[in-house]
Formats: sequence, structure tokens, C-alpha cells
Amino acid sequence: MNKLSAYIRRKLSVRVSLWVVLFAALIFIAALSFFFYQAREAVRQEAFNRATQILDKTSLRVEGILNRVEVATNMTQWLVQRHPDKSDSMFVYSRGMLLNNPDFYNCSIAFEPYHFQDKGRYFSAYSRHQGDSIRTIQGGSDNYQYFFMDWYLMPTLLDQPCWTEPYMDFDAPTNSYEMVTSYCQAIKDKTGKTIGVINTSLSLNWLSHTISTVKPYPNSYSIMLGRGGTYFVHPDTAKITRQTIFTQTLEQADTAMTALGHAMQRGEEGMKQMKLNGSDCYVFYKPLGKTGCSMAIVCPESDIFGGFDRLRQAVMNIVILGLLLMLFFFIRIITRELSPLRRLAKEAETIASGQFDTQLPELQRTDEIGQLSHSFADMQQSLVKYIGELKNTTAQKASIERDLHIASGIQMGMLPKNFPTYPDRDDVQIFASLVPAKEVGGDLFDFFFRDEKLFFCIGDVSGKGVPASLVMAVTRSVFRTVSAHESMPDNIVKIMNQALAEMNENNMFVTLFVGVLELNTGQLLYCNAGHDAPLLIGAGVGELPCDSNIPIGVMPSWDYSLQEAHIFTGTTIFLFTDGLTEAMDADKAQFRMERVNSVAADALAHEQKEPRQLIESMSKAVHEFVGNAEQSDDLTMMAIQYIKKQDDVKLHKTLVLPNDTQEVPRLNDFVQEVCLKAGFASDVTMQLRLAVEEAVVNVMNYAYPPGTPGNVTLEVQTTDTRIQFTIIDSGVAFDPTAIPEVDTTLSALERPIGGLGIHLVRQIMDEVRYERSGTLNVLTLTKIISAPKSQ
Amino acid sequence: MTHASGGDGTIVFTPQWTAQAQFAGYYVAEARGFYREAGVDVRIEHPSATQPAMSRLRAGECHATTLQLCQALEIVDGNIPLVNILQTSMNNAMVIVSARGKDPLTQRGARVGIWSVGFGQLAICMSNKDHLDYQWVRFAQNVNLFVSGALDATLAMSYNEYYQLLQAGIEITDKNVYRFCDHGYNVQEDGVYMTRQYYEQHRDQARRFAQASRKGWEWAAEHPDEALDIVMQYVNRDRIATNRMLQRLMLADVLRLQVDRESGRREFRLRPDMVQLANRLMHEGQMLSREVTYEELTDNAISK
Repeated sequence: MNKLSAYIRRKLSVRVSLWVVLFAALIFIAALSFFFYQAREAVRQEAFNRATQILDKTSLRVEGILNRVEVATNMTQWLVQRHPDKSDSMFVYSRGMLLNNPDFYNCSIAFEPYHFQDKGRYFSAYSRHQGDSIRTIQGGSDNYQYFFMDWYLMPTLLDQPCWTEPYMDFDAPTNSYEMVTSYCQAIKDKTGKTIGVINTSLSLNWLSHTISTVKPYPNSYSIMLGRGGTYFVHPDTAKITRQTIFTQTLEQADTAMTALGHAMQRGEEGMKQMKLNGSDCYVFYKPLGKTGCSMAIVCPESDIFGGFDRLRQAVMNIVILGLLLMLFFFIRIITRELSPLRRLAKEAETIASGQFDTQLPELQRTDEIGQLSHSFADMQQSLVKYIGELKNTTAQKASIERDLHIASGIQMGMLPKNFPTYPDRDDVQIFASLVPAKEVGGDLFDFFFRDEKLFFCIGDVSGKGVPASLVMAVTRSVFRTVSAHESMPDNIVKIMNQALAEMNENNMFVTLFVGVLELNTGQLLYCNAGHDAPLLIGAGVGELPCDSNIPIGVMPSWDYSLQEAHIFTGTTIFLFTDGLTEAMDADKAQFRMERVNSVAADALAHEQKEPRQLIESMSKAVHEFVGNAEQSDDLTMMAIQYIKKQDDVKLHKTLVLPNDTQEVPRLNDFVQEVCLKAGFASDVTMQLRLAVEEAVVNVMNYAYPPGTPGNVTLEVQTTDTRIQFTIIDSGVAFDPTAIPEVDTTLSALERPIGGLGIHLVRQIMDEVRYERSGTLNVLTLTKIISAPKSQ
Repeated sequence: MTHASGGDGTIVFTPQWTAQAQFAGYYVAEARGFYREAGVDVRIEHPSATQPAMSRLRAGECHATTLQLCQALEIVDGNIPLVNILQTSMNNAMVIVSARGKDPLTQRGARVGIWSVGFGQLAICMSNKDHLDYQWVRFAQNVNLFVSGALDATLAMSYNEYYQLLQAGIEITDKNVYRFCDHGYNVQEDGVYMTRQYYEQHRDQARRFAQASRKGWEWAAEHPDEALDIVMQYVNRDRIATNRMLQRLMLADVLRLQVDRESGRREFRLRPDMVQLANRLMHEGQMLSREVTYEELTDNAISK
């Protein structure tokens, strides 16, 4: 089955042929169904007409003869009633009846018991044919008490002439039975009293013979029933007079048969469809005149529709054969018509395998297949030509790619490498990474040391690829050249801007950040030309504030501003290009600054702000985000951690607390411990604790908007001469030193709320300094230690 | 008397109707040789449709005949002494079927068919007693008159005409049938009778005839299918217009009627109480001039 369906799927000719034949078959089925239905109806109607004709004919014939019997009997009755007292005349009358009507069976003129006193109980003038003569006798006797017979009783009881139920009349001399029916008419005297009955019988043998030979179809047969349903004609002669149409139903109910019997008894005319002896039959029935009998023709359905069924079978066979032939020839013809196509397909396969010079078959056809062949030949020529061109182009492209690869190598060579570049330095650690989106990119970064300063820059050239890479190379060279003798970042940027703007014919520009870090002090001078602001990751995570300068290379006259910040020991400056924030995943969603901040905060929380760790975790986060999507832009990151320690620092400790005053005991323990190590007396320790607590609680309460979680970092440094507490937070800018001195002369109630805490801090500490460093508040509390103390 | 060949010891037996399963036991006894085994020659001769069996007995054309008990009482009352040598029926089988689904008891003055050969005494009694004033129409045989609509109702035997009516497509329901046995008229019917005169002369033959006949009935009750085969032979020989189905139904019903309602057995005896009941009913119907006693009908030697 699967093989067959696979074959059909593979063979267009078979498929098309099957469709055509299927469609034709549907049309045939529809047309033939209609035709067969109509034809069958016509055959049924024909059968009905035929049966009706036969029934009508038989009925008419019976009617004719019955009428004669009735007329003759009426006349005899008239005679008898005129001479009711002349018994011997009765023999003449009955004999005369048969003489005048040779086809009558017998005639008796019977009288009531003792009607003729001289004739005794019985008097019946009975005549019947005997051979060619007529026998006339006196009919009644003790053995034949006629006045109890149906024919005698019926006309009296019904008070009208009538026909009896057929009966078998036994003729002793010939020992033969004759099926007869009698017309009986009462004889009345002048007072209207019944004195006898005239009975004229008619043989029904001819009728039964006629009916039993009615055979409109080979297996059809006829039956005749009496009033009581008795069979008088039936193909099974054993049933005649012995069984009725209801006999079988006595044992086994058969509603169809019962209904037919009753309909025929009622003298109805019609047709019934029913099962007889296991086969479907049509029964047509009609009453036979006034006899009370009914005749039926039973036609097996197979007979009626036999010819029709044979015709239908023949037509069906022809149609099926025709459809099969049609299928066969269609497949042959379509296969032949499509054979050039197959050759063409084979040649196309050869061409597809690389043999472009294959000779296509020459078709002398003008139809679609011919056109296809010509088109194919044209296509082959074009293909050969195109492949030649393609070969050249590919060779050229390979050369360009080779060049690009070399260019990439050169470009990468320009950038600092071999991280950590200065592993031995104790003041700064640097790590950077540049991943171009194409072979060569437009991002750049650089750094070098001069005069105890770290010069560094990061930039992004507009556009990508080779043009951007060339500008990048130029920018980097210019940076190196300029910064070799210029130490102020704003000047460096200004000079670079002018230099680039001068040779910028293609309107390209560069976003650039240049920084100079004083390694001894942590002071950072910087200038940002339209680049993303770097992040500072130290006590918290915050952006380095940057003025809005335009990128370089656009306006040679732009006055770039200088900015300054203090970098604390341990703080990492994280620089990056927009390739980080705009890195896109497969759904074109960007990585965004929020994620950069989150990764940085995460790194800070896990003490991973060391440059290499930071950049690796940032790279990992970006890769996970981007997934399998193609890199859309160059991605450059650089991290610089300032790690210079003060020489005289004896103790350096850091505590980070959430902005929750519940944490105050931890703070106090921390200060206590530090003071203990520094060797402060307990009263000084208590004072220091109080001052630090005031400052920290102030931050906890007011630095962040209510309900916003935040951190407070406390750094402690001690030297021989001082102890310094630095309180750092990333909350709203607030300078506590700007609060005026409290007038302590006023009573507590009169004094304004607040200000007392900072007053206390000022009293205890020798120096209180505030600065806003980037997004951070930095409050430094210093206590001079005049002389070493001891317990 | 001269017609019957009494001299050579052959008993001519005339059942009261044409050949049918009503007389299965006698056919069986003859066909299976029970009469021969009993040392008695029996010839079965049926009457014609309009000839009462009793008239054959009276005319000496036969020596034994079957009669219904009521018929027998009537005949004995008419000064022809009879002896019941075998009683087969223990129940009454007569019914009235009325046309068009009407209750026969509401058909006052109706034209009701009755057998011309003289069954139906109880129906006449009932008609008189219940003042139904039926107009009796005596007919010979079959149900054609009723079927043709010439009668309002007809008497029928539950084993014979009843089935013929069904076979003629007449619908019979509980409503249009009156069963005499269910209304205080359960009087025994068929029995075999001889004239007392003949009986006195052929006592031994009569006894053997009766016993062999009884044996025939018992065999028929045990072998109804074979008995039916035998019945059909007699039926076909006389070209009776009937069929096997009707005869099977008839045989089953006749055998049913032979089982006494009270004892549940085939008793083959005349019940004195039934004789009394029949006497009383017929007397009330003014059909008897005197009481015909059980003893008059029986002979101790036989009934034992």
C-alpha cells in the first residue's frame, strides 16, 4: 500500500490520470444513479400497469359471465313466482336454464320443507350437465338437507340475491370435483314470504385455469381468495380450498400477510410490497366482480427488475471497463507527452552536478514543454557565463578577505595586549577587551603611563568595517602623539578634534573619552567627547558625571570641557562603548544600561571589581543575553582599578551597612574594635563612636528616599598622626557641613530641629570635609592624634 | 338395523362429524391395530354434513356413535335408550363468537348460527335463561355464512370452528367470545354411545371397543405428532377441506378438553354431577320432559 502511494506520488502521469478517471467516475455515478432510479421507477410502473391490465381484463370477463347468470336467474325467478304451485314445472325451468345457457354448471329450484304437501320434506328441481345431455332430478334428501346449505340460507338471511363462496362440488358419477360458485335468489310468494331459493351455479374451473396461467413474469403466480380468505387458486394445489391466506399466521404472526388478506377480503384493489417465502414480492390484487372473491398476482421483485438488473449490471461493467481503459490510455499518453520533460529533468540533474556543458536534447516542439526546453537551454548558457564571472569574483573576494585578515591583525596589534599589562604595579590594574563585529572594527582603547600618570582613552568611530577601522587607527595614533606631550585631557581632546576634523572628508566622527589619573593621589582629570559615561565601582556603583560635549571630528572649534574626580583606593573605573549597552539578542532587544549596572552591582557585592573579573563577568552576561544572535556592533570594555595605598596607613578597614538603624550596634562594635587596635583611650573611643554614629545614622535616615534600600560604606584609615573615617553613600547630594553652627545659647525648645548632630561631630572631630564624587556623597571625618596614647 | 352388519360382529362406528382430529383416538386405535388386538372388528364410517350421526344409529346404519352428553339426554328423553360406553370429553368446548367485536350477551334477538345436526342445546338453554331470544339459524357446516355477514353471531367449537374463524381472518378478542365452560355450563361433551338394545346383545364387544378406543386416545395424547399424521390420512382420504395446521390445533384442544379440570387427569368417565347439571340446565330450558339419570346412561360393568 505504501509502495503504491509512493509510486502514485512519484508519477505525475498516474496522478493526473487518476484524477481524470475519478472525476469521470463521479460524473458517471451521478448520471447513472439518476438514470437507474428513473428507469427502476418506470419498470415498477410498467409492472403495475401490466398487472392492473391483467386484473382488469379478468375481472371484466368474470363480470360479463356473472351478469348473464344473474339475468337468467332473474328471469327464471319471475317464471317460478308466477306459477309457485306447479311443482313439476320447476324441473322444466331448471332444465331450461341449462339448455339456454350451456356454460352454466347446474341449476336448482329448491323449496322450503313441505312446501308441496305431496312432495314431502324435500323438493329441489336440480339440473346439471352430464356429458352432452342434461340430467334433471329431485335433489333433496336426508343426506342432503339443502335448506341448511349456505346457498339456500344466504339470500334469505341477507334478503338479497347473492353469490356464495366458491366450493368444490363432488360429482359422484364421474368422481370429479368442480369448483363452483352459485348465484342464489329467494323465491317469494305473494305475501313476500320466502318459499324457496333458485340457485344457479357456474363452474370456476375455467376461471381458476385462466387465473393460474396468468404469468406476467417467469416466476410470478396468481392466487384467488374467497370471502373467508380461502385459496381457490394457488400454485401449491394442496392449499386450494384447504388453507386460507391466514393459515400460516395462526402459528406465526405475519402482519403484512394479514393486512393483504384483510384488504382482499374487503374487496379492495391495490398493490403491496412484501416478503413471501423469503423473497421480496409485489402483490397486485383486485376483487373479482360480485363473487366476493379476490384475485392477486404475486410478482417476485427479482423478476420485475430482472431485466433491469441485468441491464444495469451490463452498463456498470461497460463503465468500469471503460474507466479502466481510460486510465490505462491516459497514463500511456501522458507518460509519452511528458517523456521529453523526464529527459530534461535528467539533463538538469547532470547540470546541477556541475557538468555545465552537457548537451540538452533538441526538441522540435512548440508547446509548453518545447518552450521550457528552450528556456532551459538559455538558462544553461547564462549559467555557464555567470559561473565564469562568479569564479573571478570569488577569487577577488578571497584576496580582499586575506587583506582584511591582515588588516585585522594590524589593528589588533595597535591595541595594548598581554593583560595584565603591568602586573607589578601597586597603584593601578588594567584590563580591556575589544571584539569587533566584523573583521576590522571602529572601536579603540589605549593607555600608557607618563610622569606618574595613567593616560587612557576609549572611543567609538561612527560606522563599521574598513572605513571605521582606518579612522580608528588614525585616532589612536593622534591620541598617542598628542598625549606624549600634553597632560590635560581637555587639551588632548581639543587637539585630536582639530586634527581629525581637518582630514574628515567623509563626515565621520568619533566618540571619545580621555582620562589622566594622578597615580599618587587618585585625582582623575578627564574629558568626555560624546562617549558613554564610565561607571565608578567602589563603595557603590555610579556613573562618572560627564559634560555634554560633541564627538570629535565634527566641529574643529568646539571647546571641550575638563572635569575632575577623586578616585579612592580600590575603586574601579569601567569604560565601555555602546556595543555593550546596545548588544542585541535574537528578538532585537537591547542589553541596556540597567543590565550593565546590575552586573556591576553584582560584581561589587561579590568582591569581584578587580578589572579582569569584572570584564569577564560582563562579557559572560552579554553573551548569555545575546545567545546565538549575530554580534551587531563592536564591543569594547576597559576597566582600571586604582589600588594605590597610602604609605603611612597602619590600619585600613571597610564596613558596608544597609540604611537601617537596626545596624547601629554593628557599627559601634566596628568603631570600638578599630579604636581598640589603634590604642585609643576609652573616653576618646566613646567620643569617636558617638561622632561616627551621628554621621552614619544621618545618612541612614536621610540619604535615600524613605523606603528605598541603600548602602552606607565606612572606611577607616589610621596613621601615626590621625584616624580618618570616610562615610560614602550613593544617596541624594547632601552637604552636612553646609549647615550653620547651632546657637547653643538658645534653649533646646527654641533651637530649630536638626543641626545638633553635626555640631557634635564638629566638636569631636578635628576636620570634617564633604565632597560630591560622581554620584557619591563622601564625608571625611579626621581626628588628629597628638601623641601616642597608652592605657 | 338390517343395514349394519351386526351379524358378523363388526361394530360400525360413526363419529358425529366428518373426518377430523376430534376423532383422533379412534383413528389411532384403528390404524395402530388396537381394535384388532382387542379382538373387535370396527369400521369407521363418517356421516355427511347434513346427516346427524344419530339418524344413522336410529336407522341401524351404525352401532356406535359419538354424541354430546346433551344430545344423548335429548335422545334418551325421546325414548331411545342409550348407553355411554366411553366418555372422552371432560369439558365443554362451545363458544359464541359475535361479529364486529360485539359482546354476544348484548346481542338480544341476534341471528345466531347453530349446527343443523343438533349440537348446541346448552346455547338454546342459555338464550332462554338469559332472555337473549336468539334467532337460531341452522347451518350445515363451515363458517361461510358468518363470514359473509349473513349472521350476527355463530356457535363454534373451540377446537374447530373457532380456529376456522381465525383462519378466515376474523378478529377474535376476549370481548366478542362467550365461552360456555366459564359461565356455569361446563357440561361434558363427546362420548361413545350405543343403543341399549345393541349394547345388551354385544356387551363384551362394546367393552373391548371402548377400551381399545381409550387406548387410542391415550396413545394420541402421548404421541400427538404421529396421531396427527394418522388424522391427516383420514382427512385426506375423505378430501376434507382442511389443513394440517387446523388439525394440529384441533387435536391439541380436544386433548386439553379431555383433562378434568378438578382432577387434572384424563378420566374417561361420565361424571354423575355433570349428568345432573346437564339435566338441570336442559330442564330449565324446557328441553327435557323428564330427568335422564346417570344410571340410565351407564352400565356398571363398563364404568368400572
